[in-house]
Amino acid sequence: MVTVPSRFRNPIGKYRLHRTDECLGCGKCVAICPHGVHVKIGHVMTKNHYRCVGPDCPNPCYKTCPAGALSLKRNPTFDTLGDLRWTPDLLVSTWCMAETGDVPPGGLEYRIGESVGGFDRLRLVLPPSHRNESAPPDEEVDVGIELNRRDDTSHRVRIEVPFYGAGMSYGSISIMAMLSRVRAAAALGTFCCTGEGGYPDELKPYDDHVITQVATGLFGVREETIQRVSIVEFKYAQGAKPGLGGHLLGDKVTPAVAHMREAVVGYPLFSPFPFHSVYSVEDHKKHIDWIKAINPTAVISVKVSTPTDVDMVAVGSYYAGAHIIHLDGSYGGTGAAPDIAKKNIAMPIEYAVPMVHRFLQEEGVREKMTVIASGGIRTPHDVAKIIALGADGVCTGTAELVALECVRCHNCESGRGCARGIATTDPELTRLIDLDWGTQRIINLFSAWKKELVRIVGRLGMKSVTELVGRTDCLVHLDYMKSKRGHRG
Amino acid sequence: MMKNADTVENIVRSRRSLLEDLPTRKCYKKEEEGGCGVTGFASSIPVRGKHIFEPSRQMHNRGNGLGGGIAAMGLDPDMLDVSRGILEDDYMLQIAVLEQGVMGDLEKRFIEPYFKVDLNERLPHVQDFRDIPGLAIKPPNIWRYFVRVKPPVLQEFKERNNLLQLTERQAEDEFVFQNSFKINKTYYDVLGNQSAFVLSHGRNFFILKIVGYAEQVVQYYQLEDFKAHIWIAHQRYPTKGRVWHPAGAHPFIGLNEALVHNGDFANYYSVVEYLRQRNIYPLFLTDTEVSALLFDLYSRIYGYPPEYVIEALAPTMERDFDQLPPERQRIYRAIQATHIHGSPDGPWFFIIARNDTVNRRFQLIGITDTSMLRPQVFALHDGEVQVGLVCSEKQAIDATLKSLSQEDSRIGSIADRYWNARGGSHTDGGAFIFNLDEIPSIAAERRLTCVDKFGEPIKAPQGDVQYPIYHGADDGPGSQVTISRFFNHQQPELLYEYLTNKARDWAYNSLIDPFEEIKRWAFRNDAYFEVALGTLTKLLDLRYPTYDKRRRTILQMVHEALEGMFRHFPYLDAQENGTYRLIDWETRQLLRGPIRNEKVMIVDSSLFPPEGNDGDSRLIAEAYHRGWTQFIVFGLKGQRFHGCGLGPHTGAVRIDIYGSSGDYLGSGIDGLSIYVHGNAQDQVGQIMKSGKMVIYGDTGQTFMYGAKGGEVYVMGNAAGRPLINAVGKPRVLINGTCLDYLAESFMAGDPLNGGGFVVLNGVEFDDSGQVRPQPTPYPGSNLFSLASGGAIYVRDPFGQVDEEQLNGGEIVSLQQRDWLLILPYLKENEKLFGISIEKDLLTVNGGQMSPLRVYRKVRPKENEVEPTGLGE
Repeated sequence: MVTVPSRFRNPIGKYRLHRTDECLGCGKCVAICPHGVHVKIGHVMTKNHYRCVGPDCPNPCYKTCPAGALSLKRNPTFDTLGDLRWTPDLLVSTWCMAETGDVPPGGLEYRIGESVGGFDRLRLVLPPSHRNESAPPDEEVDVGIELNRRDDTSHRVRIEVPFYGAGMSYGSISIMAMLSRVRAAAALGTFCCTGEGGYPDELKPYDDHVITQVATGLFGVREETIQRVSIVEFKYAQGAKPGLGGHLLGDKVTPAVAHMREAVVGYPLFSPFPFHSVYSVEDHKKHIDWIKAINPTAVISVKVSTPTDVDMVAVGSYYAGAHIIHLDGSYGGTGAAPDIAKKNIAMPIEYAVPMVHRFLQEEGVREKMTVIASGGIRTPHDVAKIIALGADGVCTGTAELVALECVRCHNCESGRGCARGIATTDPELTRLIDLDWGTQRIINLFSAWKKELVRIVGRLGMKSVTELVGRTDCLVHLDYMKSKRGHRG
Repeated sequence: MMKNADTVENIVRSRRSLLEDLPTRKCYKKEEEGGCGVTGFASSIPVRGKHIFEPSRQMHNRGNGLGGGIAAMGLDPDMLDVSRGILEDDYMLQIAVLEQGVMGDLEKRFIEPYFKVDLNERLPHVQDFRDIPGLAIKPPNIWRYFVRVKPPVLQEFKERNNLLQLTERQAEDEFVFQNSFKINKTYYDVLGNQSAFVLSHGRNFFILKIVGYAEQVVQYYQLEDFKAHIWIAHQRYPTKGRVWHPAGAHPFIGLNEALVHNGDFANYYSVVEYLRQRNIYPLFLTDTEVSALLFDLYSRIYGYPPEYVIEALAPTMERDFDQLPPERQRIYRAIQATHIHGSPDGPWFFIIARNDTVNRRFQLIGITDTSMLRPQVFALHDGEVQVGLVCSEKQAIDATLKSLSQEDSRIGSIADRYWNARGGSHTDGGAFIFNLDEIPSIAAERRLTCVDKFGEPIKAPQGDVQYPIYHGADDGPGSQVTISRFFNHQQPELLYEYLTNKARDWAYNSLIDPFEEIKRWAFRNDAYFEVALGTLTKLLDLRYPTYDKRRRTILQMVHEALEGMFRHFPYLDAQENGTYRLIDWETRQLLRGPIRNEKVMIVDSSLFPPEGNDGDSRLIAEAYHRGWTQFIVFGLKGQRFHGCGLGPHTGAVRIDIYGSSGDYLGSGIDGLSIYVHGNAQDQVGQIMKSGKMVIYGDTGQTFMYGAKGGEVYVMGNAAGRPLINAVGKPRVLINGTCLDYLAESFMAGDPLNGGGFVVLNGVEFDDSGQVRPQPTPYPGSNLFSLASGGAIYVRDPFGQVDEEQLNGGEIVSLQQRDWLLILPYLKENEKLFGISIEKDLLTVNGGQMSPLRVYRKVRPKENEVEPTGLGE
């Protein structure tokens, strides 16, 4: 495991240690802290505040300091970050996972956020770890999934983790961000999607781990890019902006983006809401047949948002020949849309998934179709919850960008707006991310998620993540629990 | 005859009692329609049911075998064992029985008390449904009654409901309608018990529908030889619910009409509310059912003429409304104000078979929605036997005609005219009607005419249509012909000219001799074959006067000669040397790379499936990867995806297409050339990257959607949304016009700097092969909308295109450098299609004009599409 610290000088953590002049320089704090918060270089100083686990520490330095020079404080900057969905705890936890490759050792709530809906009202029912003798050892737990479960002649594709990277177009994010994601996916034995902005040549060495997206604007879609890959994703809609197509504002259409999409520099690019050649389900089947005419063994994924008849969309896609139905819920993000589009309009994903899961079961085709969920999957616990609700796997999006040190400032749509060089194609800002650094950060994030998922699945006494699919008995919803006083808990 | 308001009110009120015992549950859509294939044809003479077979089968990929139905109208009384009088005057009450033993109760409660039954019977059917390949669910047994309402019952009905002002027949119609509603209410519940339902109850037609494919209806109920004037069929693609119920399939009924539908309403609930306000309560919970109920409401209860019915369903809006004459605007406004909530919203296309009993005429009607979101093609075949056709795909029209022509040689395999409707337009109203009127003193034949929504007739070209019969060696000018010199000197263009000149003097029978001789020459060696191919292809592609003969008959002869020539070549296992090799479904495993001097692969598509790994388009891609680069494809019946799958850098490849090609032709091509010797269908050239495409005819919906480049020439018209979302540098020349939404969101850079453009000439060929301008170069109201790059060069000497038709663009005059840019393409256009720049394009009202005054340029307005207003 390669540790990859922040690229910035003062990483933000939850706690700060305050050291007074009483400090004797004895170095006891350096010796006692397992996380390297304090260092002795000549004199003793606190170097890595951000690693401090705070009150969770079993043997805190501020208690063992002979001079009483240390005190624990909360970092005021910490509380300026984030929002109720991506809390500061979640942001910093993700940074920690991206740095160390495992979940935080303490001090941070890395499992849930503080919103009043969605995954934050769900809890996994996990038996306590110390009492679980029947739990299989970590090495025996498999968290990989099959993506093509139909009996047909398309590729058999297995990914080693139950997630792959969602489409983020070249234009909404930088080439460095894109490449980091793809290379990390390759390292973890999974995939990453190109998004609707075309397939940059830089991705070519990783063809086997790329999913080409065919979106409604058909940007960058060529037979060549469809033939190169083993999975093709139709993007009918995006949960973050249902009813609208892709919308890349003018100042993000840099020369590089315009070249990729063969459009005009500086002019905004709209993808239409529907595919103009698909206004009906038999058109959809024809559309899938078209991709198969170009690449007969491609695995086909259909990405839709979550309207009230999403179950019918799912079964219609099955009969039209798709392998994966990808439900993108309303908590999802977008780096390429005006503010007015970033509203929650579609059905929340935690309702859509069980609906589709049950409907496909009633149709008798659940075993033949892979259900992927996306939109607001922040932690491995969100992954486990949505699988327990009925998905086979998820797509990751914002979490990967947070791993690259996104702070969720919401300035993505303006050209030079991304302070961290992630959601930009400006040549100068793009250089803020070093490719190896970015790649390893996401590898670490994915590794942390994989480890945590293995733990969760193991604790539930299962040997494979596939056993968790649809196991709503492993979940409780706080709003629907009966409390002693009879009102919502 | 429009009824007065009180009468309408009384009829509506009379239905109140029908609804009292219905549960007040919300009417949500139980079935998703979405996809389908629809087809229909009307013939001046009754024709057999087997002819609805081929087009239905070829549209399998538009359905999923979970619902299919047909309607037959204008029946032959002999085949039904009734007199003509009974057939015309009685109601054919046809009931599908799903549960044994229910009919005793049904007859006792709903038939015996009210009807005089002139005949009742069980419909014959194949003994074991499993004998029909692919049919998985047993179709219902059908009980049929020819009935009239007993006069005392009718009188009581009129009195009780205050309907004394209705004529006997009107009252009887309403009684039958209400009685069938009661039957359906009692014996059929979509969500519960289903024992029987009424399939149809109108006069001189019936409906049959099953859980299966449409043509299986014909097979199961043994209708192959059953004759009718009008047949319509529907292949359904339902997407919800495991147990399919036959009553959910189309067609649906009002009273005297059968309606099939392709599409999906976004406002189903609103339409249902609208109907409920008029005491109409849908029982089968599908879009199609409410469409039929709306049609019946407007045409029978309100008594609107077809024009108003169509306006109520598909209102004329925006610029099209402004173009209407003031009197029409007044009436349409009133119609819209009254009926807008019942107007279906969303993609839809209706085909309706209607018995207009008041005017004693049968009608086949096609209506398309105002946003033109579904494909639709109409066709007219005139001659001794007249046929009108309307379908989701042109290939289904051709399949129908081919089937008919094989039985009756008076019917050709090609129509005289093919066209699309422009939904909600002031030009045709988005609807066409084929009328079958009686011919005095001839019972078994009717006269077919075609009109648009406004009553404007559509006519076939003049000319005799007798199909020639080959008599063998004959005396006549034909047999004196020596065309050998054209072969000896390798001059296909001169042979073409010779033939088109001689067409003036020769009768058909004389024409056939040179065709036979051309074939004989072609069989001799490859060089002569190439002359023959060149000549015959030119006869297909170009327009020339045919004098007293019909173009379609000549085309039919050419097609048959070509097929004979193509099929004469050896397969891939032949021993002898040769440039040309034939491959077909039976010999497809022989596929290998070319050896020795083999160059051209001739693909006989006729038996290949329309898509998938076994399709002929996949075969062509495989053949290309093995080394073949020249392809001739013929015998097409709507197969799809030709040219797809060959990947990048295919500049050396050329594909020639003969026959009824299918959707997605030439999509994604990157380098190759494709020549379509006829009309093309939908989604042609989608995401095309580079290469050359020539279409000797019209093309269909979303032509070149998302295209990135290419050089494309279209001899005729495009349909809806051509070049939408196209980028890069496509250079396209459309000689005709389009339905609407040309080049929406075009992003093709600066045409004067390597970017893309469209040249729109707005011309057409008349029946004698002369080029003339169309009424307007662009009739729609959404030209170049939201485009940020590229340009449209439109031939518009009279300045007919105005700013109101644009949305974010501007019209400027042509500059010399624009002219120099498009001139080479116009020259190529002239070479390909014979459309002369000097004589046809730059001649206006008899005099030559400067190109800078004939053409105008539509280009993006500077910075018009910045979204700064979109809510920061």
